[in-house]
Amino acid sequence: MRNPWAQTGNYRTSYVQDTTIFANYREIVSLVLFLVALCTLPLFLERSQVLVLNFILIYAIAVLGLNITTGYAGLISVGQAAFMGVGAYTVALAAPDLPFWLTIPLGGITAAIIGFIVGIPSLRVKHLYLALATLAFQEIFVWVVGRSPALAQGAAIPVEMRNFLGLEIGFRNHNYFWYYIILLVLVLMVIAWRNLLRGKYGRALIAVRDNDRAADAMGMDPGRTKLMAFALGAFYGGVAGGLLAYMQRAVVVEEFTLGRSVALLAMAIVGGLGTVVGSLLGPAFIEFLRLYMERLSEWMKASAFVQNITPAGVDVASALLPLSFGLVIVLFLIFEPRGLFNWWRLLRSYFRTWPFKY
Amino acid sequence: MKRVMVIAAVAVLGLAMAQGRTVHLLWSGAVTGPTSDVGGPYGAGIEDYCKHANEQRLIPNITLNCTVRDDQYQNPNTQRIFEEALDRAKPAMYLGYSTGAMLQLKPLINEVKMPTLPASAHIGLIDPPNNQYMFLPVSSYSEQVVALMEYINRTDKNARIALVVNPSPFGRAVVDHARRAAQRLGQTIVDVREVGGGNLDNTALLRALDAAGAAYIIHQNVAGPVSNILKDAQRLGLNRKIRQMGAVYTGGSDLIRLAGDAAEGFLWASSYFTLDENTPGINLQKQLAQRYNRSADTLNSTNYTAGMLAAAIAVETMRRAAQRFNGRVDNETVYQALIGMNGPNAFRPGFAVSTKAGIEIDFTRTEQTGAEGLRVLEARGGKFVPVTDPFTSALFRQVRNP
Repeated sequence: MRNPWAQTGNYRTSYVQDTTIFANYREIVSLVLFLVALCTLPLFLERSQVLVLNFILIYAIAVLGLNITTGYAGLISVGQAAFMGVGAYTVALAAPDLPFWLTIPLGGITAAIIGFIVGIPSLRVKHLYLALATLAFQEIFVWVVGRSPALAQGAAIPVEMRNFLGLEIGFRNHNYFWYYIILLVLVLMVIAWRNLLRGKYGRALIAVRDNDRAADAMGMDPGRTKLMAFALGAFYGGVAGGLLAYMQRAVVVEEFTLGRSVALLAMAIVGGLGTVVGSLLGPAFIEFLRLYMERLSEWMKASAFVQNITPAGVDVASALLPLSFGLVIVLFLIFEPRGLFNWWRLLRSYFRTWPFKY
Repeated sequence: MKRVMVIAAVAVLGLAMAQGRTVHLLWSGAVTGPTSDVGGPYGAGIEDYCKHANEQRLIPNITLNCTVRDDQYQNPNTQRIFEEALDRAKPAMYLGYSTGAMLQLKPLINEVKMPTLPASAHIGLIDPPNNQYMFLPVSSYSEQVVALMEYINRTDKNARIALVVNPSPFGRAVVDHARRAAQRLGQTIVDVREVGGGNLDNTALLRALDAAGAAYIIHQNVAGPVSNILKDAQRLGLNRKIRQMGAVYTGGSDLIRLAGDAAEGFLWASSYFTLDENTPGINLQKQLAQRYNRSADTLNSTNYTAGMLAAAIAVETMRRAAQRFNGRVDNETVYQALIGMNGPNAFRPGFAVSTKAGIEIDFTRTEQTGAEGLRVLEARGGKFVPVTDPFTSALFRQVRNP
């Protein structure tokens, strides 16, 4: 029998083995250790640093959803922020009457229903044309919110939760409380993601992505599969939006515009399309890039040396963030289209096969 | 030995106290990204006034640590920057920026009791709920638009007016108030259109408004989109038929620079003095721009004046808090000083016009607007000149909470 602690390759020889959630015990142990590390992390961080983590985890949930629609099913979506918005506004409207553990799934379900409807064009159109259909939805969402007095025409709707099971939630513990809630939701969503994709529905997504006619010939229903992909992806987006609403204490339409959708797509690409690890690494990378570029930009603005060597009228510091953001995406697309996940895979292989090279 | 150590410790402490304490002031806004044409000069105004305050020791025994951060017009960045400041060096006052971010931060600002002066003059910021610590430096966008409608009514009864607003909460803030004001004035709002950046051809918009019989267009926007509409109106010959005007961020030197001679005749509601006027605030602005090597564009920008006014209010409030509370300057004492800035204690820095009662900046617990006076200015010969005396919109107070 192979040593399950030191497996060096993929030795899966049956369908049952191939559908296991964890390949070996080491994966389970490393996951548990990772979760313990994530649970203890806030103890060493400031409140505002926990806020950054919260944003990363929320975007990770949204990117997981995008990875079902785009990564697995191959349906390009540039409307994920709008699905987040549907979830957030559902939460904002329901929060005065329902507890958060009901409003957040409700946000997800509402987004899934809208996602199902938005997915209907995918039955007819593909690739760039489908991307345009989702782009239209993104714009329609912003337009509708802007003209709905019930949604404050895009201005803020407060979403406040001051108490949970007797625990007062205020400025001091708000970010910590929501960190653990978001982390719990993320873990549940990742388990659901893995569970879904290891089964026949997940395989159907891949089959339809690779060749929908062949999938159809093999008895799968490409139409239903595509609609399911959109609905599931939107569900994840809706849940992420609901969490964001609580975390930010208010919903404003500016959070759910095309720019955010593009940023989520960039996170998915940089992380590695169609992977759980990539869904976590992408948002973390982009958010930390934003933070460090912001600091570098501020340093450059304050540095007399930098100001002296740049031509008059050229504000390099201000251009740094958008430049680096664009450059990173282009470089990843050219040199590492499999994203950060591939680096993670290589790193794991290196340690697993050490001291041998391969 | 012990005695020597105690004496040394007391001496060090005394020296430190003599040096004075540091009080923090935070501004975060769009130095880059959307609306950076406003945010850049606004932030520069705050930065320069803070330097001036420290150099002139405007707050005795206190060094002001002014933090100017670029949030790139991203609400999550604004939230992070604000919370970072609360964690690390709690500011005594927060100078905010965009409408969306400020509306979103209202509950948190209220919870941490942080006196806040945003650049946005959205009326929703000082409307309940969570409005106790929000104060607008100048009259709200809604008041400016209603004031323009009253100005129209002086010469043209039953006017037909179109509103062209930014497609955002910032733009839409004025629509309801304008509709109510029109009803009271007997005017007709013939159309409300939303126009954002990138409006390179406005022929259809202008033709439609002309067909609807609009004699006036009131803009609630930033200068870029307005300048494009003005240029198209000139090209179509509609500038002689339709009179255009706008609230504070539509006008100023930015509009003149972008629209050129198409800006001629544009009416602008603003509380700020112009660079051609001889007031203490404007003179200081000129001095500081020269001292800190600011470009001509920055100096000429009303947003530079606006940033300075916000910083001046903050510094003066801190000075009064220090005086009134034995040197204790924090968010609580600053709030008390701010709501006490009225009557004989009103503030007159000379950046904004005064009301008929001679008050430039005043705040109370319930009256959260600083400069309540405003004027209508007209673009003539490449600059804005006042065409009215300072006034306060009486009608706005009636339509604000009908």
